[in-house]
Amino acid sequence: MSAATTEPSTDLQDELEGTGGGARPSTGSSIFAVRDLGLPLTVAVVLAALYFYIQDRELDNIEVNLLNVDTLIRFTIEHIYLSFTIAVLVILIAVPLGVLVTRPRTKRVAPLVLAFANFGQAAPSLGLIALVGLFYTGFWPVVAVITAYAILSVLRNTIAGLQQVDRGVLDAAKGMGMSPAAVLLRVELPLAVPIIGAGARTALILAVATVPLGSFLGAGGLGQNLFAAIKTDRAVGILGIAVIIACLALLLDWFAGILQRWATPRGIR
Amino acid sequence: MTGLPFGEWLSQNQADVIFRVQQHFLISIYCVALAAGVGLTLALLTYRFEALANLNIGIIAVAFTIPSVAMIGLVYSVTGNELVTMISVVALYGLLPITRNAIVGLQAADPAVIDAAKGMGVGAVRMLWQIRLPIAWPVILAGLRVSTQLTVGIVAVGAFVADYGLGILGFNALNNLGSVNTGNEALACVIFVAAVALVFDAVFVVVRRFTTPRGARV
Repeated sequence: MSAATTEPSTDLQDELEGTGGGARPSTGSSIFAVRDLGLPLTVAVVLAALYFYIQDRELDNIEVNLLNVDTLIRFTIEHIYLSFTIAVLVILIAVPLGVLVTRPRTKRVAPLVLAFANFGQAAPSLGLIALVGLFYTGFWPVVAVITAYAILSVLRNTIAGLQQVDRGVLDAAKGMGMSPAAVLLRVELPLAVPIIGAGARTALILAVATVPLGSFLGAGGLGQNLFAAIKTDRAVGILGIAVIIACLALLLDWFAGILQRWATPRGIR
Repeated sequence: MTGLPFGEWLSQNQADVIFRVQQHFLISIYCVALAAGVGLTLALLTYRFEALANLNIGIIAVAFTIPSVAMIGLVYSVTGNELVTMISVVALYGLLPITRNAIVGLQAADPAVIDAAKGMGVGAVRMLWQIRLPIAWPVILAGLRVSTQLTVGIVAVGAFVADYGLGILGFNALNNLGSVNTGNEALACVIFVAAVALVFDAVFVVVRRFTTPRGARV
């Protein structure tokens, strides 16, 4: 699954795994390569072009409010904060769960857990957020829904990542006298990092993409501006905010890719 | 969350809900058809050239990272047309699974099989039509299926610029949180979108069963 971009996919989840443009395994052993600068530079050029384009136009009051730089920066930070909170929660919940369902003693619950997670993903995020909004609003309810929604990607990848670890390696570790906990922490999990990481990036992208809907429940983020621009029918506003959200998603995925490489043991980088 | 019980609300709004379910179905079908047309053409044009095929997949993968909400807003602000926005954006997201699977599937034919066919004097067109396509078919079909699932979800989100399909129920609920019947709208959105996706999935299961060459069944 680390070669997500070249493997055919058989279901939606496999597909989502391939989201990141940079999801392929890196060939070099360094964490940061010169070609990694391509994306941020492109994003910078796009944002600069957007800035000058908007500067050039006569904006009315509503548009000025929608595109106010200070507000945009504040909303972007909120957006990032929400997305990362969700991604971290997803990892904190899904990785232990994945470990649990791959242990010999608790293996039997695996299909049950997966079925449950699959079920969660089948429902549309839009409807789920609307349903939750009937009862709770604010930061944490939105985080909770999107976290539940995104758990599957990391859970499945954790299971797949742990299962693909070579049995021979595990035997060797055991033969060296490592305890089951040490085998898990020092051998299995590190070897599964690339695959778990791909799932985590998927979860992050899913979060960035779904957080705008959370703005209806008062969770903040760039969705507030986007939907305000749509309600007031201001094309410049929609354009500007949509470009910012797109750039944000690309940058966060890029950053997550570097984090992932940093977390991967040097031997399998 | 006051308002009518769900069953009663549903029977009162039956006509509207049925209409929206139909719209959702039709738009999804248009988008998948468009994506399939473009995606399969791209795949057929590029699968022989490794670099082109990778470039093709890479570009679509970057587009895939961009949130659908942003892409819809972007295209809408440029085109200003609801239906054009909806169909082009949704089809764009549907492209990735179709193109990628088709490229991988077409490349997957065993070289020995290709050689054998060549030795038997099979020409280029027949090679594609009778050898490569049947071998790739299960993988292509899987791509179409994934693409359809994605499409159903994105059509729902697209309702925020284009008043088509079931997504509008969700956005109505979100826009009027706390007022009468929003609960029913939200619930209807969840249930019927999931139902549309399930029906498409069932269709694919049947199609796969009847169109996969016997030798390629998995």
